[in-house]
Amino acid sequence: MTPRVVITGLGLVSPIGNGVQAFMAGVAAGKQGIGLIRHFSAQPFPSQLAAEVHLLGETPAGSEVDRKAVFLEQALAELLTAHEKFWRYSPSQRLLIVGSGLDYFDLPGYINSAQRSRQQWHSFSKNSRQAVLKLAAKYDIQGGVHVQVAACVASNHALGLAFRVLQTTSHKIIIAGGADSMINPLHYMGFYKLGALSNWTGSPAEACRPFDKNRGGLVLGEGAAVFALQAMTEAEPQNILAEIVGYSSTMDAYTVTDPHPEGIFLAKAAQQALTGAGITAHDIDCVHLHGTGTPKNDVAEAKAMKLIFGERFSTIPVFSLKGQVGHLIGACGAIELAAVIYSLQTQSVPVTVNFTEADPDIPLRVVVGKPLTTEIRYLLKLNAAFGGQNAAMVLKKYE
Amino acid sequence: MKIVFDSYSATEVIPVAHCLNNKKLAKYFNRETAAAIVCASKLLRGLTLPTETPFYYATGTLEYEDYGLSYIAQDSADEQGKFSASLFIEQGLSRVPPINQFKVLQNMPLCFVAIEHQLTGDNAVIYSAATSLLLCVLTAVPPRNILIGAGKVYNHGETQAGFALVDKQEIEQSPFLSFTGEAIDLFQAWALTV
Repeated sequence: MTPRVVITGLGLVSPIGNGVQAFMAGVAAGKQGIGLIRHFSAQPFPSQLAAEVHLLGETPAGSEVDRKAVFLEQALAELLTAHEKFWRYSPSQRLLIVGSGLDYFDLPGYINSAQRSRQQWHSFSKNSRQAVLKLAAKYDIQGGVHVQVAACVASNHALGLAFRVLQTTSHKIIIAGGADSMINPLHYMGFYKLGALSNWTGSPAEACRPFDKNRGGLVLGEGAAVFALQAMTEAEPQNILAEIVGYSSTMDAYTVTDPHPEGIFLAKAAQQALTGAGITAHDIDCVHLHGTGTPKNDVAEAKAMKLIFGERFSTIPVFSLKGQVGHLIGACGAIELAAVIYSLQTQSVPVTVNFTEADPDIPLRVVVGKPLTTEIRYLLKLNAAFGGQNAAMVLKKYE
Repeated sequence: MKIVFDSYSATEVIPVAHCLNNKKLAKYFNRETAAAIVCASKLLRGLTLPTETPFYYATGTLEYEDYGLSYIAQDSADEQGKFSASLFIEQGLSRVPPINQFKVLQNMPLCFVAIEHQLTGDNAVIYSAATSLLLCVLTAVPPRNILIGAGKVYNHGETQAGFALVDKQEIEQSPFLSFTGEAIDLFQAWALTV
């Protein structure tokens, strides 16, 4: 029999609160983390919206700091300080699998340096894998260190790989999740030039509008979330937050610029994850969607929902976290998994903030006004990436 | 096991156009992606893979191509040679086309190979390590006929790509299972033995 895999701990930093407690309170309250960029001077930028992490006691850091590495370090510290069982595994039984964004490049530092005249830019590029290796060494993790870099599904892939590894071998503890920050001059403007960023001109907090008729693009966020995964047989029941029961990934093989307009392969990922979980779409009580607030993604997701759920697609409650925390790119699947745990533990579907006017092309049941209290036994989590990669995970309330 | 390993010098043209059904896609490619497309095409010539074929790719660290960085740096420095946010926006970025973003994203080699060969199955893009690529194979769904690849552009400009079709079972029994180092080095070592 395939071992059951459970989540037994988490740590995170996010634009709506650092630490699990603050994040969960933020989700419950519909806290909005999007504002004007503060940690670097973005005054001349054509867009200045972002969901930044504000660390306690933070002073303006130099441009040499790779923020996502700092966030990952903090999230790991929260998780592993509290997770007594982690320390009972030998170093060779500990694995670290992280979804990460692009290598950070310190553009101001490079330009201000003497190396610019020689075009010696390499030392200003912060290798994401090296940052993860350094943290693995700090926590004496010797069972394997793996860094996934599939853009917006990187952390889904990390969590999915951890799930699969634990299905084949149980005597391990795997720390899996993601960390990212694209909120720096070079990467931020890269997204701007692609036309992906929100064109909202009203209140910054309202700039990311998943599923709303007036949605106008994504808002970049940043942060990190990491989870401890164990075989259920090795977990202490009081620490189990949720069970992972299915995972799948697919590719659109359509175009790198847009999602497949019919959502066919996103739906296929969901259907395969459901099959892996040994359940059908009928058993799913709630869906946490990718919900970027971009014109094309949200419509494609609605079409995928119809393929997955048939006529039930417009009645099953759905949620997107991105209106609150922005799009964490390589870490979005991980931070949104924390919201999944919130739903499973509170038996409620949070409000999707900034959803004020329904789009006829997206006839989904988006929760507004106040959280929806409902029985949630199985929850489907979907994400998709720039380039056409899709990921689906099915989670079950621990019982 | 069938394996292809390619290497190109810094100035060598990577002949990707003839490998593409849609030749216009070539404008999105960096040298790693172009080499990956050519390498995969050589490996899969005469084969039609099932669309659900699992596909895992290990990308190398960025060491050579600067994607217009030198222009941005030159145009974003003020009279004292310091970074100016205003000059960055007004001048630095204007010389770099939006399409360069596709050359920076690390999942592009996998996505473009998937488009070219209509692969829609299980997938992952991992950062450089051979052990990570092999772990994907060991947990692959389904466990047979798995496409794996790796690519890298070195500091001195050399571009390498390697692709193979493998089964989980043969990886489990392979002496290369314990291979440490970058995935591209694994392909180079494999190619010498096949």
